[in-house]
Amino acid sequence: MIVDGAAAVRVTVNGEARQGLAEPRTLLVDFLRQELGLTGTHVGCEQGVCGACTVRVNGQLVRSCLMFAVQAERASIETVEGMARGAELHPIQQAFHEEHGLQCGFCTPGLLLTTAALLETDPDPSEAEIRLALSGNVCRCTGYVGVVAAVQAAARKLREGT
Amino acid sequence: MAQTSVEGRPDRYVGARLPRVEDARFLRGVGKFVDDIRLPGMLHAAFFRSPHAHARIVSIDVEQARALEGVVAVLTGADLADFPPFVAGLPRPEVKANERHVLPADRVRFVGEAVAVVAATSRYVAEDACALIDVEWEPLPVLTDPHASLAPGAPLLHEGSESNSFAHIEFEHGEVEKAFAEADRVFSKRFHHGRMHAAPLETRGIVAEHDPGSGGFTMWTSSQVPHLTRSLLAHMLGLTYENQFRVIAPDVGGGFGLKIHLFPEDAVVPYLARHTGRPVKWIEDRYESLAASTHAKEIVMDLELATTSDGKFLAFRGRYVGDAGAYAIYPWTPLVDSLVAAVLLPSLYDVPAVRFEVDAAYTNKCPTGAYRGVGWTSGQTAREVLIDEVARALELDPMELRLRNTIPSEPYVSATGCRYDGGSYAESQRKAMEVLGYDALRERQKSLREEGRYLGVGFSPFVEPGGWSGEMAKRMGFPFDYMDAARVTVEPDGTVTVTLGLHSHGQAHETTFAQVVADRLGVKVESVRILEGDTAVTAYGTGTWGSRSAVIGGGSIMRAADEVREKLVAIAAHAFEASPGDIEIYDGNATVKGSPDKSISVTMIAYTAYFGAFVGGTRPPGLDPALTATRSYEPPESYANGCIAAVVEVDVETGQVELQQVVVVDDCGIMLNPTVVEGQIAGATAQGIGGALYEDLAYDANGQFLAGNLLDYLYPTTMEIPAIEIHHIETPSTVTEGGIKGVGEGGTIAAPAAVVNAVADALSPFGVTIDRTPLSPDRVLSFIRAAEGR
Amino acid sequence: MLAGGQSLVPLMNLRLALPAVLVDVNGIRELDGVSVNGSVEIGAISRQLAVESSVGDAAPLVAEALRHVGHPAIRSRGTFGGTVAHGDPAAEIPAVLLALGGSVVARGPGGERVISADDLFVTHFTTALEPTEILTRVRIPRAGAGQRWGFAEVARRQGDFALAGVAATAEVDPDGVCRAARIVLFGVADRPLRAAAAEAALHGRKLGDPAALYDAGQLAAEGLEPRADIHASSRYRREVAAVLVRRALGQAAAR
Repeated sequence: MIVDGAAAVRVTVNGEARQGLAEPRTLLVDFLRQELGLTGTHVGCEQGVCGACTVRVNGQLVRSCLMFAVQAERASIETVEGMARGAELHPIQQAFHEEHGLQCGFCTPGLLLTTAALLETDPDPSEAEIRLALSGNVCRCTGYVGVVAAVQAAARKLREGT
Repeated sequence: MAQTSVEGRPDRYVGARLPRVEDARFLRGVGKFVDDIRLPGMLHAAFFRSPHAHARIVSIDVEQARALEGVVAVLTGADLADFPPFVAGLPRPEVKANERHVLPADRVRFVGEAVAVVAATSRYVAEDACALIDVEWEPLPVLTDPHASLAPGAPLLHEGSESNSFAHIEFEHGEVEKAFAEADRVFSKRFHHGRMHAAPLETRGIVAEHDPGSGGFTMWTSSQVPHLTRSLLAHMLGLTYENQFRVIAPDVGGGFGLKIHLFPEDAVVPYLARHTGRPVKWIEDRYESLAASTHAKEIVMDLELATTSDGKFLAFRGRYVGDAGAYAIYPWTPLVDSLVAAVLLPSLYDVPAVRFEVDAAYTNKCPTGAYRGVGWTSGQTAREVLIDEVARALELDPMELRLRNTIPSEPYVSATGCRYDGGSYAESQRKAMEVLGYDALRERQKSLREEGRYLGVGFSPFVEPGGWSGEMAKRMGFPFDYMDAARVTVEPDGTVTVTLGLHSHGQAHETTFAQVVADRLGVKVESVRILEGDTAVTAYGTGTWGSRSAVIGGGSIMRAADEVREKLVAIAAHAFEASPGDIEIYDGNATVKGSPDKSISVTMIAYTAYFGAFVGGTRPPGLDPALTATRSYEPPESYANGCIAAVVEVDVETGQVELQQVVVVDDCGIMLNPTVVEGQIAGATAQGIGGALYEDLAYDANGQFLAGNLLDYLYPTTMEIPAIEIHHIETPSTVTEGGIKGVGEGGTIAAPAAVVNAVADALSPFGVTIDRTPLSPDRVLSFIRAAEGR
Repeated sequence: MLAGGQSLVPLMNLRLALPAVLVDVNGIRELDGVSVNGSVEIGAISRQLAVESSVGDAAPLVAEALRHVGHPAIRSRGTFGGTVAHGDPAAEIPAVLLALGGSVVARGPGGERVISADDLFVTHFTTALEPTEILTRVRIPRAGAGQRWGFAEVARRQGDFALAGVAATAEVDPDGVCRAARIVLFGVADRPLRAAAAEAALHGRKLGDPAALYDAGQLAAEGLEPRADIHASSRYRREVAAVLVRRALGQAAAR
């Protein structure tokens, strides 16, 4: 339903039912950040290149700057805010911490979600597979050294259930 | 200092690989970047920008934009006619100061220059309104080449100037002409370094709020220099008192030098907040960032090297024409590229005579300013590529030639006056060769060539000026001093708060500075909190850039902590009736040497200082109980050093370069936290690789900007950056507090030359010479064709 | 019309496309799904990532080419039909469709019609689809066990648009002699371009013969006038097109 040019959009975010208003042209990333207050998802290029706005929609990796909020009606969305269990970091987050996989932290949410999607389909990726999977997430700080090490460490943690 | 081992912690925090304190918020997505800030009633700004490289503004019609629903204000240059311009200059006679109006009323000088601003209820509406602004332009002649800009008869880009150069600077030391006249061989080369963007993933952004009660402002800004922003902007905005202007640089998503400048938006957004009476947010979009913030490193360099027949360097001559863009960037000026490149011309080579000439030429392009490694990157690339060419001409191994000319490891003063504080100038080169397995690599190269495959190896040994203080600034030609303070406070419960005027945007200050102060005071690192980025809260400082924070922050913390520690010791000594010299503090407890039963926690010492007696002790009479000290540190010149090596294979049919291996040997003196140091090195090296192979802010001959998005300005990804292998040598500085040297720029300074040399080495059977970056596949093929005379 | 939006929305964000009305077809279930029978039928809004993982041996060239399209987070949203209908001359999938002799099913007010890939791509971002038609399915002949194919491109980075690229298929007799070939260049013209002269020249020659491959490359590149941009000159694209034809056919010969 559209009122004053804005539609009510109902989504499930990180397991919680949420709703907010969005104009037809409102990007999903703006809806998440401004309407739902989930500012962990970042805007880097508005062009689908940098990967900072990566979220998961119904399990699939998506550039939230290339999708309209109204298209996410009744979808299940995962953002970085949903990864940790209370005080306990997700093993992927823990691995990024231990392996110096982040510096300024701006690209980190997108990298974490991309890593999660990768390790769900391939629990033991080679370095080459990791690099290919992460190639759509630009990091300007790390030279990817810590990032790749973190994904390898995260894969180990998840395989070993630690 | 005697220390007792405590389980679960390193004996000394400095030098330990502690994981980062700041990670917790970023990993959870709860960092606070400027765009995460929302204030009640906040408006959103968008700028209308010039589509022309050079044009007169005949008229601007903003009526339709003003009439759009949701638009609250539209301002043009005419509305800000009384607003003072940025004036970029330096107190030296060769420099002609340059004015830049924050919204020009009559003339634009580059594509992307802001000419109007809209404040509206959303960014979407503000951009809708920008599309309704109608400007009548009268195009003017365009200059895009810095040499053409300096040519006699070129149109002048700034009224009242006699030439298009911001400064023409000459320097000579030693008998240069004689050396060239008597040399066995003279080699020369022109190198045109590409135009780069610092390209932090978070663009710039501002939220400004005006308080009509006090007349003051609060401004959140994605900046590396919050205090400097306050000092430079407060009076421009008409404030009588600088301290009415609070600048907060919250979490900042990368800076790399770009965010040390002042930009028109920094003045216009707070102005707009006062004008509308509502908070205003502006977040730079990627096009604005690429087109209209700062560009960097484009210098056209003509180098000459005089040698003996066996390759001993006798003298350098260099002419550095920097492409300054349309305005002298404020406040640092475009000399951060061309002048500093020239000062570092002799680098780590033992050469007695140097002459250079420097210009910074205006063109109709985005202004150029600081980006990690500044002009040192360009100068290093030109010099090291020339040295490889000299080696080929003299039929010497390039590393043999370098090592013959490398300065000794002891402190050394270069021909341009740089006071190197000792390092591993030759050792780092040998180490890089050893790690690479240099001889075996040459064998492999030979056998692959027989199969028609082209492997190449390139080296780039470097010195890296760090800890940018007044002494370093003056050495590099900038006659300034700086004041950077740390305030160390022990709180009532013995925890420690440190504030600094530096700023961390990826460098992990909350971790590394806590390590420094915890060691110095003898407390647990977990009890330390580091605060930066808020001018209302922290000690003053000029921000984080120029590899200055470890040296200056570390040194100022050490000095302030020593003062506070004296008070802790005095209270403990008084309590135990012991001599202060016998008090040791470690892991949060003070003990008396030789009397292990006499122990008191720092918590109890602090409690005593704040509130008087504790069980068994009192304040020493006459002691000022304030457990706080503020100290600054202006270090002497210090230089890290190292060597980067790269191995590539070139596909000579497509021109594609496969970067197979990168080795970095780095010596930045005492490391506060090797993990953090390695992160800095890897990131800097990746940016250098980007400059060598991918990143190029291209303009056409009409000054149209061609790289305004991330499909045209190419950040390297995981697929373009190989595993970067890092090795350390740790030669403590002989001159700084704690033996610390700066780190973080060497990779960007030196990696491009390593990559370019590797490509040139791979293609040496064709007789290829490389004279520009980046090395796109097309360019690589064109170098081969040129060598083959096609 | 909006499907995956991975090309349209960036243009809208940059305000280079300003559609007054946008119809989202993502809800039309019939347009989604891949089936493999006598041919490979790909619903227009099937996600590229899903196609990549489901075409398997039935269209290995499609799976290989898709790996060069953007990144996983782009392909998870981007649709197969979208990249065909968009008609980007530098895109991989239109070239592959042409190399495989595929076709599309279009539906308009007058009903359905089938358009051969040979007739589909007109010029830059322009196809033979009428303004009143939508692309509903893409049809690709199922690869036989012996299908020879090759794919080669040069891009600045992983996932970037190709500076030049080639998709090729060939039929060879038991002696390795080429009986038919389809060689398609992309990134070098206003549309994916079949190299007819090169295809003809290969006929009757051994596909593994280096001289035959060289000749095919030269013939394919002859007369090309690719556009220049900041990433590559026209000359570069033409020269490299010849190299890539040779390499793609070399792959086909080796398969």
